Amino acid sequence: MASLGSTRRSRRWLPYVVVGGLLLLIVLRMFYLMSLEGRFNGAFFLRALIDSVKLGSLYALIALGYTMVYGIIRLINFAHGEVFMVGAFVTYFLFTVTPYGWVSALFLAMVLAFGVNRLVALFRASPRDPLTWAATAVSFVALFFLLQAGTWPFWAALIGSMLATGVLGVAIERITYQPLRTAPRNSLLITAIAVSALLQNLGLLTLTNRQTPFRPPTALLDPIQLPIDGLVVQTNGLFFAIPLLTVVLVLVLHNFVRRTRLGRAMRAAAQDAETAQMMGVSVNKVISTTFFIGSVLAAAGGALWGLNFGSLNQPAVLGILPGIKAFAAAVIGGIGSLPGAVIGAVIIGFSESFLTALFPRTGDFQGITEYKDTFAFILLIVVLLIKPSGIVGEDLSEKV
Amino acid sequence: MVTRSATPTTVDAVNPQRRLRNLMLSLGAAALGVLVLYLLDGLGSSKLTQALALFAIWGIATVSLNLINGTLGILSLGHHGFMLIGGYTTGLLTLSEASRQNIVNSGRSTMTDGTLALSVTNLFNTLGLTGLTTPETEWVRFVVAVLIGGLVAAVVGLIVGFPSLRLRGDYLAIVTFGFGEVIRLSASTRIFSPITNGALGFAGVNGSFGKSVWWTFGFLALTVFVISKIKYSSYGRAMQAIREDEVAAEAMGVNLAYHKVLGFVISALFAGIAGGLWVSWLAGVRLEYFLFQLTFFFLVAISAGGTGSITGVLLGTALVVFVRQYGDPLEETYSLQTWLYLAAAVMALASVGAFALRHFRRIRPRFHLSVLVPAVLAVVGVIVASLDPAFLDGTFRGFGMRAIFLSVLLIVIMVFRPEGIVGRTEFSWGRLFGDDRSQPTEEERRQDAWLSNPALNPGAAGPLTSATGTDPSTPSREGSA
Repeated sequence: MASLGSTRRSRRWLPYVVVGGLLLLIVLRMFYLMSLEGRFNGAFFLRALIDSVKLGSLYALIALGYTMVYGIIRLINFAHGEVFMVGAFVTYFLFTVTPYGWVSALFLAMVLAFGVNRLVALFRASPRDPLTWAATAVSFVALFFLLQAGTWPFWAALIGSMLATGVLGVAIERITYQPLRTAPRNSLLITAIAVSALLQNLGLLTLTNRQTPFRPPTALLDPIQLPIDGLVVQTNGLFFAIPLLTVVLVLVLHNFVRRTRLGRAMRAAAQDAETAQMMGVSVNKVISTTFFIGSVLAAAGGALWGLNFGSLNQPAVLGILPGIKAFAAAVIGGIGSLPGAVIGAVIIGFSESFLTALFPRTGDFQGITEYKDTFAFILLIVVLLIKPSGIVGEDLSEKV
Repeated sequence: MVTRSATPTTVDAVNPQRRLRNLMLSLGAAALGVLVLYLLDGLGSSKLTQALALFAIWGIATVSLNLINGTLGILSLGHHGFMLIGGYTTGLLTLSEASRQNIVNSGRSTMTDGTLALSVTNLFNTLGLTGLTTPETEWVRFVVAVLIGGLVAAVVGLIVGFPSLRLRGDYLAIVTFGFGEVIRLSASTRIFSPITNGALGFAGVNGSFGKSVWWTFGFLALTVFVISKIKYSSYGRAMQAIREDEVAAEAMGVNLAYHKVLGFVISALFAGIAGGLWVSWLAGVRLEYFLFQLTFFFLVAISAGGTGSITGVLLGTALVVFVRQYGDPLEETYSLQTWLYLAAAVMALASVGAFALRHFRRIRPRFHLSVLVPAVLAVVGVIVASLDPAFLDGTFRGFGMRAIFLSVLLIVIMVFRPEGIVGRTEFSWGRLFGDDRSQPTEEERRQDAWLSNPALNPGAAGPLTSATGTDPSTPSREGSA
């Protein structure tokens, strides 16, 4: 295997050539389509670009959860797509149902207050800190009355859903993954698949079994016309809101992992959980926190997903495709690495929206659009076979 | 390579009396099984025979999946894809002329004359075997179609297996899952729709074979025979070595890629056969019959029964098929009061179970929160339900309760008994009768003599022998021999 290093070094140019060649092909195809008569003008491709930015941001929010969990407990969290689904539906119920009866308000306020507890605990040294408890108690009372008071605006529903879904993530980890800390990894993976099936069917049982319209009264959905270089592109506030929120959340996460005590503990546990434990890091707490943050981000993704597409699919299938594509993004970027997840998500979003734009149903190569959903899988398989560690990932192949 | 030892090392094999007894018992059990099937079949097609046929079909799939998941220790999640290939092949090859005409007449089909002509009947006509194209010999055509389906699935398994089995662990699981989904998603696309009839599928596949207990149990017996032969051959031992430790197995000379691909191809072959029988059981081919849910059910069966054990896997399959076929009462509409009583019962069960677990595993305190909270919830539930307040007046339909039950079952098993009900042990008459294993067998005696003889085995004179020799508390086996 000694020759492997030199081979790799001599082929440094290969990725650039491949990516450059693909981009060149895309540009050529664009010019070809633009030379045809019809709707393929610059605005058409600008729309595709806008779509790809939005999609990439959404996938990034989900992919971060996959990559963080994998980085710490080496588990492909199959249930993450379903956590995303729950996030979308909790948002929906928070801004539509009004007002809540006292039983459901009590329950929801408890869940949300626990979420506030976890959120404050992220930045405090001890979870039994008086400030944490004060915040929990105050938020519980306030939320109980707010839930009974009337409709929540979209931003409040978004934050509420992020907290509630974060609590769900922590609960899943505590109940199902924690007893399996020392079990073989296949058991853990099978458990994750079971949790995913459980959440799908529970959603089908308790929420709805049909398409749900997702139209909150928010100014973000008002149409905006972007005059770009003589062309007018119809879009709405989401073009700014989704990437902006994603960038803010990613920056907060980045600073959390770099700057805070818990973030440092997280990095230590990801590097070597056993040694970290010996050095006084509470690995269980770190893993809980990881699931909390991942689920919070997935819930934000779910709420924005509903806003972007205007409706939610039924619970059994809503989480599957976004979850799998985000997972593909995490692997392509290099699973276990935070920037890798964002890069992979951008690649997946870009390729998905340009696959439909470059090969429209009416033109030549009609069959390719049908592979829109399959494409993420194919890309995933190709990346795994060529470079399993992904674009920026470290080598995670199993050690002796 | 793993060497094949001269004689098998089980007790039953070296004791001629026990060997005869076990043979007689096996033959008797097989005869009893055939008799039971004959009696059930005489009663005509009922819910029970359908459930039995489904058990046999899913049994083929789970036993073959277990060759990868249990014996080889690789988590494969693409079994539904291989079943789809076998199912579509069998469906297309056995479709009757009338059904083909319906496809043409529907006008929505994308199938061409060339693909519509693909059938076993035409194959036999081309080969000049016109005697096998009569209605009486339909079973020959069905069996040939099922076997072709299995072979096509095996070829796809080879194509999929070669590149992906270089990966390890959960990357491999993801790639198999990805391939399974790619197979399913691309079956309805423009490229493959001339063969698969797009999203429409085929209606009117002959259902008399898939619902017949004879054919399904015959194929199941074949599968169990072949897979158990493989499991106890040198190939099977090499696969188990890979499961236990890949690096060590490779160091011992096991060809990793060869054995992995071999296991994968055999598994895909039987998955294709199971797929062919499955479409016959359903009497039609549609994409919705081959969702990932199918593989999930198989995973539940394997994990519940015992990963790696054919006995356990069949046990788990029986459990899953029972829940699927006889679990309808769970999915009906009941009043909210009944549901609350049911939820309280589940909570009470959870509380008792947690208490029993803590008691027997000597975990203290016994009255932990995990015991008390469900107990309190159960009591509160019963009290509220018996008061029958106004908000419990409605009704509720338990839609999807069976899948919820199975996923909860899988989680509980994974958390409390990850090895499954029977673990890795297989059924054997010797175990059932508690045959004495305290005395070493002839084979073991010979091995021990060889190991303790310094003339034959120079390494035996090391510290291990002297340590056991000087310790009076552990009587060595050589002494008793």
